[in-house]
Parts: sequence; structure tokens; C-alpha cells
Amino acid sequence: MGNGTAHLSIAAVTHRYGSVAALDDVSLQIEDGELITLLGPSGCGKTTLLRVVAGFIRPSEGRVVLQGRDITRVPPHRRPVNMVFQRSTLFPHLDVFQNIAFGLRIAGVPREERTRQVEEALALVRLEGYGPRRSHELSGGQLQRVALARALVNRPSVLLLDEPLSALDLKIRLEMEVELRRVHRETGATFVYVTHDQREALALSDRVVVFDQGRIEQVGPPGEIYRAPVSPFAARFVGDANVLPVQINAVNAGEARVTLGGSELVVGAGAVETVGPAWLVLRPEVIRLSARPGTNGPALTGTVQDVAFRGAGFSYRIEVPALEELLKVETAAEGGIPYELGSEVVVTWDRGSCSLLPRT
Amino acid sequence: MEARQRSPFTLAITLFSLVFLFAPLVVVVLFSFHNTGSLSFPFTGFSLRWYREVFSSAEFTRALENSAIVAGVTSVVTLVLGTAAAWGLTRVPPKFRAPVAVLVFLPLTIPGLFLGISLLVFFVRIEFTLSLATVAIAHFVYVLPYFLLVARAALDRLDPALEESAADLGASPWLVFRRVTLPQVWPLLLGATSLAFALSFDEFIITFFVIGTESTLPMFIWSSLRRTVDPSINVISTVLMAVTIGLWVVAFVFTVRGERSRRRSLEPLPTEG
Repeated sequence: MGNGTAHLSIAAVTHRYGSVAALDDVSLQIEDGELITLLGPSGCGKTTLLRVVAGFIRPSEGRVVLQGRDITRVPPHRRPVNMVFQRSTLFPHLDVFQNIAFGLRIAGVPREERTRQVEEALALVRLEGYGPRRSHELSGGQLQRVALARALVNRPSVLLLDEPLSALDLKIRLEMEVELRRVHRETGATFVYVTHDQREALALSDRVVVFDQGRIEQVGPPGEIYRAPVSPFAARFVGDANVLPVQINAVNAGEARVTLGGSELVVGAGAVETVGPAWLVLRPEVIRLSARPGTNGPALTGTVQDVAFRGAGFSYRIEVPALEELLKVETAAEGGIPYELGSEVVVTWDRGSCSLLPRT
Repeated sequence: MEARQRSPFTLAITLFSLVFLFAPLVVVVLFSFHNTGSLSFPFTGFSLRWYREVFSSAEFTRALENSAIVAGVTSVVTLVLGTAAAWGLTRVPPKFRAPVAVLVFLPLTIPGLFLGISLLVFFVRIEFTLSLATVAIAHFVYVLPYFLLVARAALDRLDPALEESAADLGASPWLVFRRVTLPQVWPLLLGATSLAFALSFDEFIITFFVIGTESTLPMFIWSSLRRTVDPSINVISTVLMAVTIGLWVVAFVFTVRGERSRRRSLEPLPTEG
């Protein structure tokens, strides 16, 4: 089934620690030059999968095929893949230049060629002139740039990144995201990026793989996952979402009549075709607030429980009677003045901007 | 009010212990330089005559040589085999770690007398002629746990992610060890080796059982003491002590060095520079 065409193919990989399956029948095709993120909470199996590809873990079942070659049983040092680790793993007894040259030296690249390639790699991560420094003379962000250069200088078929930014401060993390995107564009290499940070995943990837409990929940471009999550887990984990229990009473011509918190609304049916219990996924930023009932579209009435200024907008928590959870709402700050605490508001959205998921 | 009350009694005990600990050593060193044959006060003047006498004795130089050979062989063998053993110990699966550690470190608790007798019985049993070789083997058995104690601690504290990184960059297990593991731990391993040398150099009890007809420095001191007591004994003891203390200092310096470079590598600068 197209296994021959994918750059990296993970075929039915299962890995068990004792009786716990860290990876449960995971299959994934990764294209050449793609930046794909494996996204999920800690312990979901994403790092295990990365280590299976790197060769540190031999999976209990399944195969890893790289450029048509089965590498499942190939030891890490004979795989044309390189990894950037979560913490800095620069060799403390070597300077930056020697660290980056490590792989080239082992591969037997002649000295002059080695020097040229290391200089090139330093330029790629914008650390020209840092060659003679030691790892203890570098900041956290610089350490990870060197780690990136040390991996990329070997021109790996796949670059694996295991939460490389998670140890950094937010400000540096945002800068590094820009850098990673640029490096990916300039090298055209295949990146497999593990993260638990959905914002990072959405910002960086061509495709996102959402993991939960050792299984792939959903695979797709960030926009698609954001707009059309296939499960409440994916909806909650990628972007913020209100996931509300509803009852579908009728489906007709792409629209569904649902009961939500005692009132009946008409919303876009999406992929749901049958009546019965369902989840309504409502992104906080598609919701509009108004003081009076609007002319059309679904509407609910609630009370403002919390409001926070976010610079570009306001973030609200609205209590809607008969809903268990407070409704999360993000609005633009255009008007300038937020609704006050305790004031009664009408919550509306466009019928097509929410989605329904079957609830079992 | 003072946080702690110092009792004059505690101070007295401390001083008393220190005097008992160091006074004999000082006396030995001092009288090795004595210009007369007297081993007790009054001290009449400095001279190197006992040193000349001792170093011109063929018996002494032979014993010194033997001690150096045995300690040299013991420490080199310990360095190689001990490092391999320590490396293996860090890779024992967790559930076997405790039993293996007990087996490896149990000899530390075995009295030298017992070790000496059992080795002697063993060597006689397998008809292995007693010589400096048997002494070196016995010393290896004796110093290995001490070496492992230091070497394992050094290897244990290495970040396994560094070795994974090296493997990931194409290094075979041997290259990982040579290019990444060893460069980080060699000061500590050399420190442990000096320790092994020092332990072997002044070992007496076990040596006594397994040496046969040869002599080492501690053996020589012991046999001289049985004949006469003159300042040459002090000279030999001083030489022995100087070598041993010197090696402990070397071991200490290497250990501190290894510690310092390790600690430095763990602290990246906090902000972008």
C-alpha cells in the first residue's frame, strides 16, 4: 500500500514495556522533505516512536523502512538518521567545532572538507566564529543550535528532534521556532519533530500527528486538524476548544438540529449523519458575544464569570446554565471595553464554524 | 548566646587523638634523619647516613624494586580489567544490579588474613609456584573492589544521552567508549589507579602468605624488625610512607580535576549571549 514510495515508513509498529504498550500498532508514512510533528501529552508514545526510528529501541513488532530499506534491526550508529535531544548532549571535552565535526570524523571525511562543512553548518545556525567555544560558554539556545548543526552536518536522511526547545525560555523558544523553520527551508531535510506543545506543532509543521496512549489519533496538516478534529481528544489537545455534549435530533441537508443545554440549535452537521448523542466542538475564537440576541445563527445566553485582557483581545469564561463547564471565549479587542463581570451576554457563532463528533 | 557550647573535654579528646595519630609518624620521619644509632630522644643532629646505608643495601633495593614491580603490574591490570568491569557494571539490568554489586564489593569486608590464607590454599592446590606473580594476582583481588568503587561512581554519573548522541552520530560502541566515555572519566580512572598502586605498595598481610621466597618493602621492614632495630627501619618506613602519601595526593588531585570538569559541563549559561 504505497510503502515503497514513502521516504520513511513506519509499518504496524508496536512496542511494549512489560504489559504496557507504549506504541500500539502505529503506521505512518513520512514524505521526503517534510516537517512532521508528533504531538501528544507525556507518555503518549511519541518519544518512543522517535527512539524506534533512531534505533535506540527495537520495537516488539512492526518495521521501520527508510528509503526502501528495512532498518528495524540496524543499530543506531549505522542508520543515516541523526537526532537533536531534549537536553544538551554536546560533548563537554570537545569545543563547538569538534562537536560538529564528530560525525564527519567518524565517517572519515578528510580534514579540509570537514572544516569547510563544519563552517557551513555553523553559518547555517548563525553561530559563525563560535567554533573554539566550549559547551559551558554557551547559552541554552546556542547549545541547541550547535546540536542542530552537529546533526545536520552529516546530511541525515531524517533529522529527529526530541522536544529540542522544551528546556528554553519562552522568548528564546519563539526565536528558535523561526530559526528551525528557516533551517528546514534552507536544507530541505526531512524533520520528525516531537513535542507536547500544540502551539509549537501548529506553528512548525507541514503535518501534525496527534498521539494518545500509544496510538495515532489523527494525522493531517495543522489547519485541517484545527478545523476538523476527529475526536474530543484531538480537539482539546490541538488549539483550545469547548467540547460540549449535545443530542442530535435531526440531520437534514448538511445541517443538524441539536439540543444543547436545554435549547435547540441548528448547526453544520459535518461528517455526522445519524441522530443521537454527539460532541459539539466550538473554538473559543469563533464565538461572538453581544448584549442582545442576534438575528440568526445558534445562540445561548450566559453570564460573564471571568475576563482577562490578552493584548490582542479578551478572554472570557461564560457560565451558561445547564452546561457543566464554563464556556471559553476569545474576542478581538476592537471595541476596547470588555463585558463586565456578572453581565448577561448572548453567545453566538456561525453555524458552519463549529463541528460535531459522534459520541459513544 | 553561643549556638554551640564547646566542652573542654571534647577539645582534649580531639587533641589527644591527633597526637596519637601523628606523633609516631613524626618520630619515625624525624629519627630517619638522626646522626646516631639511637632511636629515642634526645635528638642530637641531622644526617643522611641512614639513607645512604639503606639505599646501598642490595636487599633493600631488591625489595623496593619488587614492590614497585608488583604495584605497577597490579595497578595496570586493575586499570584495564577494572575499567572494563566498571563499564559492565553500569550496564547490568536494574534487577540484577544489587546482587552483582554485593558480589563485587563483598571482598572489601573480607579480612586480609582470611584472603591471604585462602589465596595461599588456592595457589598450593592448583600447584602454582609462589612468586611475585602470585603476589600481583593476590593484590589485584585485594585492590579491585576499591578501584571499582571509584570507577563505577565516575561512569555512573555520566549522562547516558551523551553516549547515545555519539552512537547516533555514527560511533560504534568501541568508538563511543574511546571518544566520549574515556575522555570524560580518565582523570578519575587515573586517580583510582594511583590508589590501587598505593594499596598494593604497602600491602603486608596478604603478601606475607603468598610471596614465597621473594621480598617486598613491607616484608623487608617486618623481617628487619625481627633482627635489629636501628634508624634504617625509620628510613624504609619513611620511604614507604612518602610513596603512599604521594600517590594518595595524586589520586586526590585527579579526582578533584575530574569532578571540576564534570561540574562545569553541567552548567550552561542561563541566557542568550
